[in-house]
Amino acid sequence: MLDTLRQEFFDKTVQVLLIDKKLKVISSDDHLFSIRKESNITDFHPFFYTLANVFESSNKEQSFFCVQMEVLGRLYFIDIKTALKDDNTVAVILIDLTDHYKTVHQIKQVRNESIINFNVTQELNQQLEIQRGFKDKFLANVSHEIRTPLNSILGFISVLENTDITREQLDILAIIKDSSKNLVTILDDLMDISKIEAGKLEIRKRRFDFREFVETLGKTYELRAADKRLDFEFNISPKLPKFLVGDHLRLNQILINLLENALKYTHQGTIKFTVTTDSQNARRIPVTFIVEDTGIGIPKNKIDHIFESFTQLEKRGLFGGSGLGLSIVKQLTELLESDLQVDSIDGEGSTFSFTVQMGVSHNQKREKKNKLKKNKRDKTDGKRPRVLLGEDVEVNQLLMLRLFSDHGAYSIDIAKDGEKVLEFLNRYPYDLVILDLTMPIMDGLDTAVQIRNNPNKKINKLPIIALTGRTGQEEQDAAKEAGMNAYLTKPIDAELLFETIDRLLSRYKRKDKTLKEKGEN
Amino acid sequence: MSASKKIVLLGHFGVGKSSLLRRFVENTFSDNYVVTIGVHIMKKQVSVNSESITLVIWDVEGTDDFTEYRSSYLLGASSFIYVFDASRPVTYSDIKFNLSHLKEKYPQVPVHIIGNKVDLVDKNEIQEALKQQDIQHSYLSSAKTGENVEQLFKDVAAQLLKNA
Repeated sequence: MLDTLRQEFFDKTVQVLLIDKKLKVISSDDHLFSIRKESNITDFHPFFYTLANVFESSNKEQSFFCVQMEVLGRLYFIDIKTALKDDNTVAVILIDLTDHYKTVHQIKQVRNESIINFNVTQELNQQLEIQRGFKDKFLANVSHEIRTPLNSILGFISVLENTDITREQLDILAIIKDSSKNLVTILDDLMDISKIEAGKLEIRKRRFDFREFVETLGKTYELRAADKRLDFEFNISPKLPKFLVGDHLRLNQILINLLENALKYTHQGTIKFTVTTDSQNARRIPVTFIVEDTGIGIPKNKIDHIFESFTQLEKRGLFGGSGLGLSIVKQLTELLESDLQVDSIDGEGSTFSFTVQMGVSHNQKREKKNKLKKNKRDKTDGKRPRVLLGEDVEVNQLLMLRLFSDHGAYSIDIAKDGEKVLEFLNRYPYDLVILDLTMPIMDGLDTAVQIRNNPNKKINKLPIIALTGRTGQEEQDAAKEAGMNAYLTKPIDAELLFETIDRLLSRYKRKDKTLKEKGEN
Repeated sequence: MSASKKIVLLGHFGVGKSSLLRRFVENTFSDNYVVTIGVHIMKKQVSVNSESITLVIWDVEGTDDFTEYRSSYLLGASSFIYVFDASRPVTYSDIKFNLSHLKEKYPQVPVHIIGNKVDLVDKNEIQEALKQQDIQHSYLSSAKTGENVEQLFKDVAAQLLKNA
């Protein structure tokens, strides 16, 4: 019984052939395929050319798994076993495993496709990373190259404003200043968009005087609106606490963009700036900001496009700008886990609003202000603190000389590269060092490291400010790592520069005093 | 009857070994990827300088680990064609390791290295990438466009005839 069953199975799936050394068929049971006796087996399928190798091989038995054979239009998957006989013939056994291998084929098809797709995606991602890296570097370089001359332009405009010039010349200067500041804004926007897209922009939450922050914005834009003969309404809910916890810088950026936008596109009527909340006495409150104008409005079918980078509606394009402002606002509000809403009627005006969850500070008391420090140094020792600047670009040197001379509280020496900075520090006493990051011979970062590694405590403890056209986070991190205490970007904001110098000198003096006291005890 | 020689196509899966074979033997191409399992064998008679040779080409299932190849598949091979996908660096990043295995096990068998799917990449970039990895390739080919496919097999045939 078993023999009969076995025979039935083998008859359907196994064929045995005997082949001579000339690859001629001696005999075949033709269970699978009809193969003519005396014919050359290679005429049946090219696989059988390999039997010549079997005859020459030292292994008497060989196995060839999963050989694909197309016979009379049907594809078979065959396992083939060969055995070299003593009479110099080869017994060939064909085992039809087509059904089994078809299942294997399906599994491997899915597996291989998914691996290949993964490889391709990985490769594309790598390419994108390279391109993004190139774009970031390009933007950083362009930004730096433009900021450096802009620094001189804006700096000397400030200097020129304080000279004896006519009203008409002052007006022209104001236009040049506005245009230059616009350029700075465009550069900042470009860098921000690049950072947001690369996911490099982080939200930094801290406690700040929220009421003072929005009130200052309100006052600033009330004046700006008055310049355009527009009404300005500012409302802040009495429910809002004075101190809140949130990202003050990003909120400022969003609101300035929205208010600037309202100002730009409104030619008559009113701009309303409202800050409100519907909650009180909670640990976290939703704060809603609304900027409403009676400007040119946005056609309904174009509202979705106003948040795209570099998109400016045709008629809005008349008013200049990079077209990045609203895109940044949209992405920044998303970073703040909010959703920017826009409601607009073409020709009647627009309303932009968003709600941000902010922490309520436990301590609602005003911090003590350290304003008393200003000019105290002059009174205590009568000497002006001495600042050393490392800067290679002549026009920037001239600008800094002029700014320091106008300010009057400090004296300044200038070294044209890092090596000279170190030379000056070894020769003369200084209170603070300002370093341009890109200088010949020795750049600002290396110079800062050398200063920090100097064995002389009077040198290695000096406060160092980085002053550069590079705005990237990487450069800021590198400056911090090199031991620099502050990072300022060009174009120079004179007020911020002197505030930073004041702050660092006060801190330095405090530390110095503590060290001396400890030394005395 | 012309002499016959066994050539084995080796390489990772999905690099286009079967497509190269079909382009060479049948002059056909399909964009659909169909996995080869086991081995698929085709033959073609080639004439070089009035001499004729039958190339019996074994298109073996792709793998990234050449030590996994069954010795019976490679038995009696006169030439190996190592195919990689020029658009997927992962298929040529381990080329040196696999070549050293072939050299150790089959020292007499010449290996031709082919970068396929060159229609998908910038030729200068791939040349540069291969140069950086010190990979001496014979051809950059495209089964899709037919670029260098005929030439590749003719070169292999010419070498086999020369060594015969």
